[in-house]
Amino acid sequence: MIEAEGLGRRFGDLVAVDDVSLSVPDGTILALLGPNGAGKTTIVRLLTGVLALTSGQARVAGYDVARNPAAVRARIGLVTDVPGLYEQMTAPAYLDFFGSVYGLTTAARVRRTDELLTFFDLASHRKERMVGFSKGMKQKVALARALLHEPDALFLDEPTSGLDPLGARSVRELILALKHASRSLILCTHDLDEAERLADQVAILRQGRIIARDEPGRLRALGSSETTVRIALARPCPAGLAELRALDGVMTPTVETDTSGNLATTTLTYRTVQPTEVNPPAIERLVALGARIVSVSCAAQSLEDVYAAVMTGREN
Amino acid sequence: MSWIIAWRATLEALHDRMTLSVSTVFALVVPILVVLLLVRPDAARLADPAAVGTSLAIYLLAVGLMPSSGSVGIASGLFAGEREHGNLLPLLASPASNRAIFAGKVLGAVLPALLYAGIAEVSYLAEIGLFFGVSTLQLLPLALSLAMLALVPADALLGAAVASLVSSRVRTYQSAQMISGLALYPLMAALFGLLLLARYWGPWALAGAVALVFVVDAVLIVFGAATWQREEVMARR
Repeated sequence: MIEAEGLGRRFGDLVAVDDVSLSVPDGTILALLGPNGAGKTTIVRLLTGVLALTSGQARVAGYDVARNPAAVRARIGLVTDVPGLYEQMTAPAYLDFFGSVYGLTTAARVRRTDELLTFFDLASHRKERMVGFSKGMKQKVALARALLHEPDALFLDEPTSGLDPLGARSVRELILALKHASRSLILCTHDLDEAERLADQVAILRQGRIIARDEPGRLRALGSSETTVRIALARPCPAGLAELRALDGVMTPTVETDTSGNLATTTLTYRTVQPTEVNPPAIERLVALGARIVSVSCAAQSLEDVYAAVMTGREN
Repeated sequence: MSWIIAWRATLEALHDRMTLSVSTVFALVVPILVVLLLVRPDAARLADPAAVGTSLAIYLLAVGLMPSSGSVGIASGLFAGEREHGNLLPLLASPASNRAIFAGKVLGAVLPALLYAGIAEVSYLAEIGLFFGVSTLQLLPLALSLAMLALVPADALLGAAVASLVSSRVRTYQSAQMISGLALYPLMAALFGLLLLARYWGPWALAGAVALVFVVDAVLIVFGAATWQREEVMARR
């Protein structure tokens, strides 16, 4: 469980974090979104006992962060935006070192190191110094370090940064597995798709304050109820655009023709707030005009749209 | 905990190519140059065996000081360098206490510097024996030689202590190393000036002067340990 109430941090005159409250129950993931400098990393450092609070209070894994930071640090795992490894060491030696720092027994260190190196597909690189590792491999070692002592709460700052698609997918699966194992997780990311797929709650930060926080689905609904409809046609339908413009409820219809492939494709796009009312007559009219419809897709507003709206101050 | 951190830092320093190459030059090449370019002319010029012995003892200090001063660079790397490169944060987010981390890093800077200094001293004495005969080593005055040898770890500690204090207050490894060097050299000059004077006052004064250097080390390290707080280190922008 991660809880914070009125969290604040100043650096001189600069207010880096201002009155941030959050709650991440066991078995849930909170994604922190925001531009660089919004305060995501500072919040993580405050909650991990690395930075002192200027105001507010926080409890992580049952311990007060200000009163008992060492107990908090013993129960959390942290992955930072840079892997931060001692690169002259081999991965097993590095994990063994951190295992010792976390007070694991020799047997536990050996067992966990073997498990994690195998999980992250690094077992065949045991004898290599990490200085020669790719960024993705280094990120995997950083994740292994954070998981070594089986922490109750995890703070992941851009955990899939630098990983190839398969590596990123295995890390996302791991994050979900940790969530299902009743860990509390805070995930800082710029990848909105990742946040939407993994997080139970999303908090959007601007200038040190949380300006929106909710479940991803509810956040999407907060911004706008518009749906974007895309109709792919096998061949151009010159009258189609005018027909759509004439239909009530259709907003900003456009047409695009893609001639880059072997077959030219035409896509009609419009926005509507009433897809169930507007789409059937729109399709009927296009079919009546002789349009050969290949597919119809509807996309509700994405988290990216909400994020952009919130950041530019267009949110309701 | 401090030993675990110190041992890791020592291994890192021993594997670091830059530290390794510079320290190897100091530990193996410089003693040869000192023997050939300084000791040999002195031995030919000075008729008094006692003067030769004093000269040998002072060079004993000189060959040890160069590698032991490497603790400045290693400590700057362990404190400021690790912060700069982001590999300090995982350790700060661990349950290790502020004092354990500080002590581990100071020890981790001192141990490899002392190892190289030890190699340099042995190399220097072996070359004296080789070039001038083993009997020449008997010319070394005991009290002065012991004082000179004791000053080598004192210097390594001084370098690590000053660099740790400076590194916690600057942003980059280069600034830490440069400012530490600037802060250290006048301090070292004053201490060694005092030591050179003290050898004319007899063995007890000499021992007292060496002890004074260790006291200065201890004061700086205690001050550094008391003021080094992870929360402050990460708060510096």
